[in-house]
Amino acid sequence: MMTATNVSEAAKAAALPDAVRAAVRDLILVLADSKRLLGTRYAEWILGAPELEAGIACASMSQDEWGHGRLLYALLRDFGDEVDRIEHGRDPAEYRSMGVLDAPPASWPELVALNALADLALTVQLEALRGSSYLPLRQRVQKLLEEEQFHAAHGAAWLRRLGRGGGPARDAAATAVRGLLSAVLQWFGPDSASARALLEAGIVDAAGSSLRARYLERAAALLGELDADDALTGVENDFSRFDEASRRVSGTAPDPATIARVRGDKNRAFLMD
Amino acid sequence: MIYEVFARKSRGEPLRHIGNLNAPDDDLAKVYAFQTYDEEKWFDMWVAPRDRFIEVFNVDRGAAV
Repeated sequence: MMTATNVSEAAKAAALPDAVRAAVRDLILVLADSKRLLGTRYAEWILGAPELEAGIACASMSQDEWGHGRLLYALLRDFGDEVDRIEHGRDPAEYRSMGVLDAPPASWPELVALNALADLALTVQLEALRGSSYLPLRQRVQKLLEEEQFHAAHGAAWLRRLGRGGGPARDAAATAVRGLLSAVLQWFGPDSASARALLEAGIVDAAGSSLRARYLERAAALLGELDADDALTGVENDFSRFDEASRRVSGTAPDPATIARVRGDKNRAFLMD
Repeated sequence: MIYEVFARKSRGEPLRHIGNLNAPDDDLAKVYAFQTYDEEKWFDMWVAPRDRFIEVFNVDRGAAV
């Protein structure tokens, strides 16, 4: 793995090396949009979860994710962005949320798979920012990671429960997990020049395939709960249509109905002040 | 299974019963307890399955020995 040399810390975006400034902004927006969308997916299950406690857990996790999204969007001001436009003025095609969050999960096992695997991917990415040379990120990441511990525990406990249930419960969870895995692995991106630049500037301590390796190690235990460990082997990463800035497959977008709700379109008109 | 939830506001304070929840196992009981009762600032939080509580006595029923 590459190690960073001669890294200087940046308290402001303006102090970041020119070569990485745009990529740092890209990464913050990817994380913020993904958390906004993940929070939305959790919120959709406040009603309809298999037990009241699971609905409360979804309410709590959505609140955390929206809070994290808010905090990350606010960082974009340092890059010259108008935060209100970012939060409320973009078309679905401009969103940089993880592709696996594009459509609402159709069943509880699908939500559990997102909770266990997509939320974990965001956590692994945040962990790589713990010692970031971009100080505004470094200072905020720890609190986010502390809150994420219970999201991970919820995802793992539910996968275990579905696995233990056997039969259709385990099958549905295993299918949901297999359905997400390759897209989540691809999300960490290729070992590109821009990934290398982020590493060299000390923005992250791992990128591309080294982040993917960290993720796979953590995901293996989860898949073991479903006897689906084999899903981890032989996953091919195809980056031919992958857009690095948005970490998405080119030409895809979250569903417009979700984005309309996320932006608050219907009721923004009531903001009269 | 029903779990009882306990917490305290600060170090040294006695544990206080703050509620209960339904969970199939200890792992999920811990997660649910945190996510349900973490609105307040606690020093620590504990869960225990209700069926592991042992009655000592009750004024109506007398001693349970």
